[in-house]
Amino acid sequence: MCRLLKISGNSLYPVYQEGDFVMISKISLFFKPVKRGDILVFRHAYYGTLIKQADHVLPGGKEVFVLGTGEQSIDSRSFGPVKIRDLDGRVIHHIKKPGT
Amino acid sequence: MIYKFLEALDQRFGFERAKAHCDIPCGIYDPHTALIAALTVVRMNDLMADLQNSGNPQDLAYVNSMSRYITVKEEHAEKVKQEVRIIWGDYMKQQHIDKHPEVHQLVHRIMQLASQARQSANRDVSVQLVEAVNEFGEIFWDTKGVTVKRAKAPYAPGLEIIYPNV
Repeated sequence: MCRLLKISGNSLYPVYQEGDFVMISKISLFFKPVKRGDILVFRHAYYGTLIKQADHVLPGGKEVFVLGTGEQSIDSRSFGPVKIRDLDGRVIHHIKKPGT
Repeated sequence: MIYKFLEALDQRFGFERAKAHCDIPCGIYDPHTALIAALTVVRMNDLMADLQNSGNPQDLAYVNSMSRYITVKEEHAEKVKQEVRIIWGDYMKQQHIDKHPEVHQLVHRIMQLASQARQSANRDVSVQLVEAVNEFGEIFWDTKGVTVKRAKAPYAPGLEIIYPNV
């Protein structure tokens, strides 16, 4: 199952920018484990649906530490690791906003 | 081509947002607050000039009113600086600056004009401040992909300010 989302915010700048579209897939997570560099979408209780980059999977393989590329990013440095089971999907396609 | 198609679908149906948040994710930025503050500085200069022409500096009421006008002028000139700094420092990212490299010089000019507006009772300086904040607002709205229009504010001092076409 795939979903199309639009990015708001710039914590993954410069590769992913505000206004870009991304296609995400949850099924791909079952076939291919999360690895460093994957762009992941997940739901956070306070911040809502977030998109961040996987930095490393914690021992046990049930949680992943996610980061933004910007220093000001709200990510696992502030809210801790994300449970793998809470991931909405991995980005499988990226449609950039023209001119960015 | 694909992007335009998706953008059209988004306009119509609204795709879910995946937030790539930075800092506190309130995302509420608007230069109008700075513009209102800049207009207030002009208005205070006008009220001070009116009072000077009609009042008696020996009257307690004169001193009281003049003190209040000066205080409000001080506060709002400082507010201009604060509001512009927030948008410039928190909202604006590298891609915005790449598109509008003149913004640093403009922000510096706003800081200088606002300080001059505090130090003096010079109406011309405060009018220049309004215009500089207008220019800043035009840049801000352009980064949002929103066009602006210019119209006279429907209240004193009736100067021309920008409004987003939203």
